[in-house]
Amino acid sequence: MSGGVDSSVAAGLLVEQGYDVIGATMKLFCHGVDVPDRPCCSLDSVNDARRVCEKLGVPHYVINLESRFGSDVIDNFVSEYERGRTPIPCVRCNTFTKFRDLVHKADAIDAQWIATGHYARVVRGELRRGADDNKDQTYFLWGIDRAVLSRMLLPVGDSTKLRTRQLARELGLSVVADKPESQEICFVPDGDYLKILREKLAHDSPALSRGPIVTSDGRFVAEHDGYARFTIGQRRGLPGGFAVPMYVVGISPSERAVVIGRREELLGRGIIARELNWLCDRPVAGSEVQVRVRHRAALAPGQLIRLDDDELEIALDEPVAAIAPGQSLVIYDGKKVLGGGLIESASGATRGRTSLPILAA
Amino acid sequence: MKPEPIYLDHAATTPVREEVFEAMRPYFGPRFGNPSSTHRWGREARAALDEARERLARCLGARTDEICFTSGGTEGDNLAILGVWRASRDTGRNAIVASPIEHKAILGAVHQAACEGAEERLLDVDSGGTVVDASFDSLVREDVAICSVIWVNNEIGTVQRLPELAERAKAKGVIVHTDAVQAFGKVEIDAASQRFDLLSISGHKIGAPKGIGALFIRRGTSLQPLMHGGSQDRGRRPGTENVAAAVGLAQAAELLIAEREADTRRLRELRQNLEQAIMQSVPDAVIHGRNATRAPHVINISVPGTDSESLLMALDLKGIAASGGSACQSGSIMPSHVLEAIGVSSELAGAAVRMSLGALTTRACIDRVAEVFPALVAKARNVAAPVV
Repeated sequence: MSGGVDSSVAAGLLVEQGYDVIGATMKLFCHGVDVPDRPCCSLDSVNDARRVCEKLGVPHYVINLESRFGSDVIDNFVSEYERGRTPIPCVRCNTFTKFRDLVHKADAIDAQWIATGHYARVVRGELRRGADDNKDQTYFLWGIDRAVLSRMLLPVGDSTKLRTRQLARELGLSVVADKPESQEICFVPDGDYLKILREKLAHDSPALSRGPIVTSDGRFVAEHDGYARFTIGQRRGLPGGFAVPMYVVGISPSERAVVIGRREELLGRGIIARELNWLCDRPVAGSEVQVRVRHRAALAPGQLIRLDDDELEIALDEPVAAIAPGQSLVIYDGKKVLGGGLIESASGATRGRTSLPILAA
Repeated sequence: MKPEPIYLDHAATTPVREEVFEAMRPYFGPRFGNPSSTHRWGREARAALDEARERLARCLGARTDEICFTSGGTEGDNLAILGVWRASRDTGRNAIVASPIEHKAILGAVHQAACEGAEERLLDVDSGGTVVDASFDSLVREDVAICSVIWVNNEIGTVQRLPELAERAKAKGVIVHTDAVQAFGKVEIDAASQRFDLLSISGHKIGAPKGIGALFIRRGTSLQPLMHGGSQDRGRRPGTENVAAAVGLAQAAELLIAEREADTRRLRELRQNLEQAIMQSVPDAVIHGRNATRAPHVINISVPGTDSESLLMALDLKGIAASGGSACQSGSIMPSHVLEAIGVSSELAGAAVRMSLGALTTRACIDRVAEVFPALVAKARNVAAPVV
């Protein structure tokens, strides 16, 4: 329970349905300097979760998963940026923290089910998209252990955000009913992820060091202050003076280069993904599927053209913009989530290219 | 029907006793006066406050003017450490000595003094938490402003030979403070014959309400107040006095002293029963500080292969309230600095569960815990998450 409206309503609905509910808030990180008499972190949200549980008449515990979260999620977040990729920590948090470590805690107290406020559904052991297309959160859930699906309860998955807020009021949870949506990464509360990178990386890390901005045909344009500041598809922070808008179309850590190009150059048709996970029996090559390459992107139809144990390749029917290595590729069959992987590379709109445009040698 | 919940966290706080509540009641109602007022309401309140001070002083073997009411243990500890150090820093005594197993109120205050220029010295303690004599003698020198040793440790219950340590410190002219929040009512405290200079106690650990405590300040001990703006309590603690709570504290203290011997015997026996029962069914459990002199109400136990967080949750879900090391603001359990200081491995420290006995503890409670605890331990060990 984050102290937000979704998990609070999830708990409230389960209490109404007669479950024996135990509230848990994960303590995942600690802000501020470590002074003996002045600890702690995101206190307000913990307090809200506790108040909601008191209101519902169920126990509430704070579960300290700080060190696991630090190594599984935050360290990986940092190293992905160092590799010139764009990580999604929420995926790893669901995979390793929420639906693995927290499930172990649930086992320790004989809690059979694990419930969250995700907008997604589990139907007959399958993970399906939530009823609210705008809120669907399956993009973040593809990595979890398939065996956990049978223990998952997602009570707001059938609801819309609007309906959830209404339910919060009906359940008497006015503390959280009108809380604004959090869009940020929880351990980057002010949105300044560079601050975390500066804390965690060596001061001379290439990711935060000066390097060239070049065009995809190899022309030097300007200098930048570290490629970790850029992500595929970004326009902000690029030099002007071009006849058409320019975007980041590639990052090449070995040359510390940020590659920019025209909008067409952002388009990709082929996607290679690794670190695969399946939430159903493994599909076969040749299957027609729909994929999502970023949260809230429209589903893009395509074909699974190659699949082995640790890598797959998708050929999209129509090109998609800004396919960023490190983001997730989530594969759907209609409402059903088949599984996914981490985007390793994308190939351009023209057939035959297999890697990102990189700096000419 | 669910069994009655069992409260085994008396070291954290206790319910206000009925007699205390009754004694306080008039001061919320008809006798609401401000003790500083000169009219009849004021006089009435002032008399009640003075009487409370006198009664508490008697309980500690102190003189009336040596009792300063505070908001609780933390304030008393801070006032003692910072107040004395700030008053004596310019006299060539700049160091502060404390044990590493002090309550955070002392460690935090010492840290603050260090930020202001104090030299911080931490004593060695042995594996039972007892202060090592040699370390005490070498650190408590003529350049020390104040030394502070917790009389009864709040996490493991270790009792220090405080009167003896005080003698040795006084021989070097060092001011001695002790946090006696857990010691009050558990060991014999007598300011007339023992040589500590300052001693903090807290109301809510002994059946008085939260928000009241007292600091004994021996006559002639100079200290700077933490707050400014009024002459209450001889200027040591400005602010309108909490008359009702002071009356409650005095009432609770008197009951405590009257019942001390019988209660100590009762708690010691209950604890022994609990320890024996647990050790019988979980023979590899470790009772921290077991070989030290311990106060009768605390048991701190680690079972290898479990973790405090899960075990406390499981206990709570069975209606049994215990605690971990010390909870941080969020409510999550932090590794205990006390267990670390006495050399307990981090795995074992991470499994520590403190149960503290008191007024609400009966033989039936102990029997039930003795039955439930081993079962939960077995369960916790079965599902202990594989370390990835």
